Amino acid sequence: MGGMMGGWKRLSAWAACALMMASPGLAQEKTGVKSGFILPPGSARIVLMRPSVIVGAQSTGGMFEPNADWTDEARRNIDRAIQDIQGQLGNSVAAYDSEAEEAGALSGEYRSLFTSVADSVREYQFFPGNRLPTKKRDKGFDWSIGTDVADLPGLSNADYVLFISTEDHYGSTGRKMLQIFAAMGGVSVPTGLHKGYAGLVDVKTGELVWLNADLQMGGDVRTADGAQKRVGQLFEGFPGRTMPLAQNALPGPAQP
Amino acid sequence: MKIPYRFAAAVLVVTSAPAHAGNRLMPAGTPAQIAGTPLSVTPPIDWNRLGLRPGKFAETWTLDGDRLNKVVFFSGVPAGSPLFREIDRKNRPLPTVSAAMLATDIPVLLESSYRIVMDTALFQVDAMAPTSVGGHDGLRFSYSYTRQNDELRRKGEGRAALVGGKLYMMLYEAPALHFYDRNVEDFHKLADTVKF
Amino acid sequence: MKRALLALAMALGLPGVGHAETFTLPPFTQAYEPQGVDERGAWMTADEQERLLRSSKFVIRDDGLNHYVRGVFCRTVGKDRCANVRIYVMRMPEFNATMYPNGMMTIWSGLLLRVQSEAELGAVLGHEFGHFEKRHGVFGFKNKRTMSDVMAWIGVAAPQSAGFQYSLLGQVYAFNREQEREADMIGVQYLAASDYPSSAAARVWRRLMAEQDASASARGRKAKHGYAAGYFASHPSELSRATTLEAAAVRYGDEGDEGRAAYAQALKDWLPEFLGDQIKRNDFGGSDFILSQLASDGWSGPLLFARAELYSQRGNPRDYVTAAQFYAQAIEKGYAAPKALRGLGLAQLRTQQTEQGKASLRQYLQQSPDASDASLISSLIGN
Repeated sequence: MGGMMGGWKRLSAWAACALMMASPGLAQEKTGVKSGFILPPGSARIVLMRPSVIVGAQSTGGMFEPNADWTDEARRNIDRAIQDIQGQLGNSVAAYDSEAEEAGALSGEYRSLFTSVADSVREYQFFPGNRLPTKKRDKGFDWSIGTDVADLPGLSNADYVLFISTEDHYGSTGRKMLQIFAAMGGVSVPTGLHKGYAGLVDVKTGELVWLNADLQMGGDVRTADGAQKRVGQLFEGFPGRTMPLAQNALPGPAQP
Repeated sequence: MKIPYRFAAAVLVVTSAPAHAGNRLMPAGTPAQIAGTPLSVTPPIDWNRLGLRPGKFAETWTLDGDRLNKVVFFSGVPAGSPLFREIDRKNRPLPTVSAAMLATDIPVLLESSYRIVMDTALFQVDAMAPTSVGGHDGLRFSYSYTRQNDELRRKGEGRAALVGGKLYMMLYEAPALHFYDRNVEDFHKLADTVKF
Repeated sequence: MKRALLALAMALGLPGVGHAETFTLPPFTQAYEPQGVDERGAWMTADEQERLLRSSKFVIRDDGLNHYVRGVFCRTVGKDRCANVRIYVMRMPEFNATMYPNGMMTIWSGLLLRVQSEAELGAVLGHEFGHFEKRHGVFGFKNKRTMSDVMAWIGVAAPQSAGFQYSLLGQVYAFNREQEREADMIGVQYLAASDYPSSAAARVWRRLMAEQDASASARGRKAKHGYAAGYFASHPSELSRATTLEAAAVRYGDEGDEGRAAYAQALKDWLPEFLGDQIKRNDFGGSDFILSQLASDGWSGPLLFARAELYSQRGNPRDYVTAAQFYAQAIEKGYAAPKALRGLGLAQLRTQQTEQGKASLRQYLQQSPDASDASLISSLIGN
């Protein structure tokens, strides 16, 4: 799988490398996989916790304006894209219904716990400037949310739990105009925000077997194609989809 | 039009990279002095010390990140000083150490300080018992709390003593879900090595 | 819009002497669907917030308390208006209540501690609902965005023109102050149309100002109560609100039972909890004021205990003498909680009443041998 990159893909990979070397800020790592973990395609029953999806616009003045239509559309697109991509691997992904399981508070706590762990991974392991000495990459990817996650009602038939989160602030026209105008005057105005993470947890052990945490995601989630690209990036390095132990986050295979 | 997002986001990353004093390794077996004072501990396993400090007389250690398992040391907080950096001294002043504190006052000081600093009313001190801290009479106590916007119940254990009119304290805090139990023994083994 | 203008006109034109029955609120159409991109966005954010709120640990889920607060709300604004509103009582020790554009309202426990009657509570609930009825959430947001857009442009184009940015910033907050004034007025209208007296509304702000005075004074400072709000204030000043509301109440001239006794009864079980939260905020002056206000009908056991705790916490040398007296008085009044004996014993220990202190603490240990601090207290008395 990993070694079969076509010419176009190789070129884009080289370009990405050059880009990363030119901009040191982009060297933040994005993916972690538990050592030696492999997931044979089609073997896993995965439960997807309700993704956290936030989409809105960033006004000229930098304020975040939540947009319900975009968020609804994005949620639908992302749900569909997740089904498609997992479907390609033959894994079944079932949505977790916290209301039906009457586990609203507890599933919320696990979401909080997962977020705490994912944030810790990003802040203290992925980000080179802030790495904890005992969490250096050569010591492996060793994170867990504990075995009690199996006690969440409704997980008795699940092998893994999947957590997904995306947040997009799209720079409005005004914001982009401001950016161009400001650049001419030598002032830097950041525009847009595209954060995401995706993590897979082994239900029996609670171990985080795989995590992607990216502060600069591509793909416009308001469109079906863009959501496919976004979910593709979210699932970069997903065990069974590329070579395991893929530490460096090159952009995913380009979608046609 | 997709490339500008990446560049712009790169600008965001580079310009917003925090300047940290650096997180240091506290290697197993090497005595470490706390906050530049004569108080020391000798970690039985490798720990990390965060570059960011919660207060003038305090420092934070962690294994996996301060949101997951953290130990906060307070060394020689003098009378009249608060435990943490004041967030708004004029309108929300923190309570301070007093040289005449009884053991029972110490958890009250922590509770009030946390309620103000974290802006939460969900804080509870559970149990208290006498114990020896580095050879001095002190107490150990347990507590729990929840922060806003986090919703994770967190548990804590503290060991403290008032020595020479100054407060010395070690706190261990972690989410009640999984992490507290996972590393509480690591805290005990670490705290047992404290030396004045 | 026309309905709102009509209501406002009625409010302004109402004769000085009048009975509440002559004033009726305009009819209220059922909760509408949000219109337009911004409003839908604001509702969606509020809907997500509500989803989280439903399982939040900060929500107080006591059925009795929730039922009571809801009852006061419906008696204030009427059944039509209260039907689709969801009220959440939050464990937050500050005076606050919030209204979201999707009909969700939160009331903070600090507010429940500071109002003293159903009418006063209704005044605040009505004010919050006024924001909802006037669709303030959306209009304020729109204005903020326009203002911040303009400021961003100015910041880039002419960085020296800080003065211009300042005045624009003032306009963002002035817009909010207008909304707050409007909500105050419609709030007092709800009261006037209800069985509660509209004079209760102003009292809330008067008491809040007095609390701020007490708090500042204990910290060696002076609270300022100007008629004009500070430039960046999002609300009109408490003084201007109190004055405006007092004038409105005089115009309506309505009377009614405030519901003081009913309120005190309903809050009885929660009062010690909320008082505990307040005392731990390290605000001696403000807490002492709140306690003395609550004690206007007499010092009950729980109030005396809270006062003792307050002095204990401040911990100046003479404070322990005072605290010991209050603990003893609380016990005399029949306050039976073991922590009163514990507090008394510790206060006595600190004021050289060592033998009495040990005796009190021994009594405490006898009463609650399984206390979570039993071994520590034992070691303190040298057992």
